[in-house]
Amino acid sequence: MNKTSILGLAFLAITAITMMSSCKDKSKPGLEYAPNMYDAIAYNPDQKNPNFADGKTAQVPPSGTNPIGYARFNYPDTREGYDAASAGVVNPLPVNQKNLEEGKQLYIAMCGPCHGPQGKGNGSIVELGKYPAPPSYSTGVSSRGGAMKDLTDGKIYHTIQYGLNLMGSYASQLSPEERWQVVMYVRELQKVQ
Amino acid sequence: MIVTAITLGTSGMVSGQGTPADSTQAAGAAAPAAGGAAVNGDPAAGEALYKANCTSCHALNKRVLGPALAGVNQKYNDEAYLIKWIKNAPAMVASGDERAVKIYEEYNKAAMTPFPQFSDDDVRNILAYIQVEGDKKPEAAAAPGGATTGAESADTGVSNFMIIGLVAVILIAFLVILVLNRVIATLERLLLNKGEAILAEEDETEEEAKDKFAGLKRMAKNKKLVFFVILGFVVLLASFGTVEMWNTGVHTGYQPVQPIKFSHQLHAGTNQIDCQYCHSGAWKSKNATIPSLNVCMNCHKYVQATEKYDGEISPEIKKIYTALDYNPETQAYGDNPRPIEWVRIHNLPDLAYFNHSQHVKVAGIDCQKCHGPIETMEEVYQYSPLTMKWCINCHRETEVKHEGNAYYDKVIAAHDQIKKGEKVTAAVLGGLECGKCHY
Repeated sequence: MNKTSILGLAFLAITAITMMSSCKDKSKPGLEYAPNMYDAIAYNPDQKNPNFADGKTAQVPPSGTNPIGYARFNYPDTREGYDAASAGVVNPLPVNQKNLEEGKQLYIAMCGPCHGPQGKGNGSIVELGKYPAPPSYSTGVSSRGGAMKDLTDGKIYHTIQYGLNLMGSYASQLSPEERWQVVMYVRELQKVQ
Repeated sequence: MIVTAITLGTSGMVSGQGTPADSTQAAGAAAPAAGGAAVNGDPAAGEALYKANCTSCHALNKRVLGPALAGVNQKYNDEAYLIKWIKNAPAMVASGDERAVKIYEEYNKAAMTPFPQFSDDDVRNILAYIQVEGDKKPEAAAAPGGATTGAESADTGVSNFMIIGLVAVILIAFLVILVLNRVIATLERLLLNKGEAILAEEDETEEEAKDKFAGLKRMAKNKKLVFFVILGFVVLLASFGTVEMWNTGVHTGYQPVQPIKFSHQLHAGTNQIDCQYCHSGAWKSKNATIPSLNVCMNCHKYVQATEKYDGEISPEIKKIYTALDYNPETQAYGDNPRPIEWVRIHNLPDLAYFNHSQHVKVAGIDCQKCHGPIETMEEVYQYSPLTMKWCINCHRETEVKHEGNAYYDKVIAAHDQIKKGEKVTAAVLGGLECGKCHY
């Protein structure tokens, strides 16, 4: 057999292989059968939405609205609000095993990276030297005065709600009930020696 | 490739911010550079005080909530004045001190915490520590050079992978040629056996120059050859088609390009940040939720990976600032925020209902069970097929954890009632729940 046909066949084979491999483009999801059954007409929360001015489906509720069962925290993000919260609120949840367990789980995930598993200000990103250490709950001094171990329920809740210094607000990640569970667990960590 | 650069950059940052190996030695070296400012304190004692009290608002070489502290001794050159300021800053502002008021205005009127518990010596120690560490700045700046070379070598790593891939393709092509050669040789022998004279072959080589398609024409006349070629094509197309159809709607390995080169390997792997820190919806809702940018800003208000980019803010972190219309210089948010358009990877068809909290909170399944080794992924790809077969196989094997689950307690109670012959209504079994009908 002649060389031309051998080369021709080899060329065909290579093209076929390239074509088949190029079908597996990782940045494309691939074929879908009847996609109109997959994507409902209703908008998903994280989808674009032309009906709103900012183009998002997930809209912020109008100010002043409360979800059902939502307890308001009527203390402003000021020094006065902080002191008023300290005097005015106590943890509404009963101290029990379930609340402490959930508080611990939430604390480890949300606060642990900076404050550390024992609240000593030695979380994973602090240990790596990427972030400055927050004061220890048991031995530190609060930047708003007083020892960290003397912080009240209201003060801790106020800080979770609004943040302080380098700490941001955790209101979007923790529901009010979850915040109180974290407060309960932080009160335990204040006793750590 | 940029993703690797970020990872290396942040690890470079670690070395840049490392604690001083020997601060007293450094103090000796720094003393001549201090110029007019007198440093009479113990930097080692100052370090502990500085880290416990100052770092939540100040850094040495960049603005955080308050001003950068390096060079503060030279700037004011008055120890007694600085001690007075640090021990009670609000009083300084209230007294109308010009420089204190200027700083107060410049930093968004954030009052500095008073530190009445500090003795004058405590403040001197802190100032000594700032002096020593602040002078180390040029040393730390040397670190990015090393990190950059690291990134370059990582780049060649990627191209190595491509070269290996190309070599593999060429090898496969070579193998194909060999096999085809074999096939052709066999076919030729077949043709010869059919009684075509050796002479004809000689003719062929001569005719070759005249008519290029002569060989093909002759092959087309060979019915066996035509049959096998067609059969080969049919088999190839059929197997290719079957594979394609089998994988229709299965997006395993889907790895789209995201608007920010966010590395899960760095955040969840190296930094050990819990998945739920960002995807906090996984515990309490159907959706695991993509974090809003305020969650990014919890850390990236401070972490800017400037060590990696010669003092510039990392371009990927800048994308967060741009999206939020945030000015890192003044730390003020503008009024034109735009959402980041992340590309969704794991996408169940809307005809299937899936609830994250049911799996994560109730069943206690690890994220990795479905999403794969996320903490090792520079770029996330779809790990599981997310097919109905895949769901069902897991549901067949997974044991229900019924202890301490109030739902199963109710079911058992209802079961006991039925056994006793008592009346059990649909309402007892949750028949009055809205979602039973209005879904």
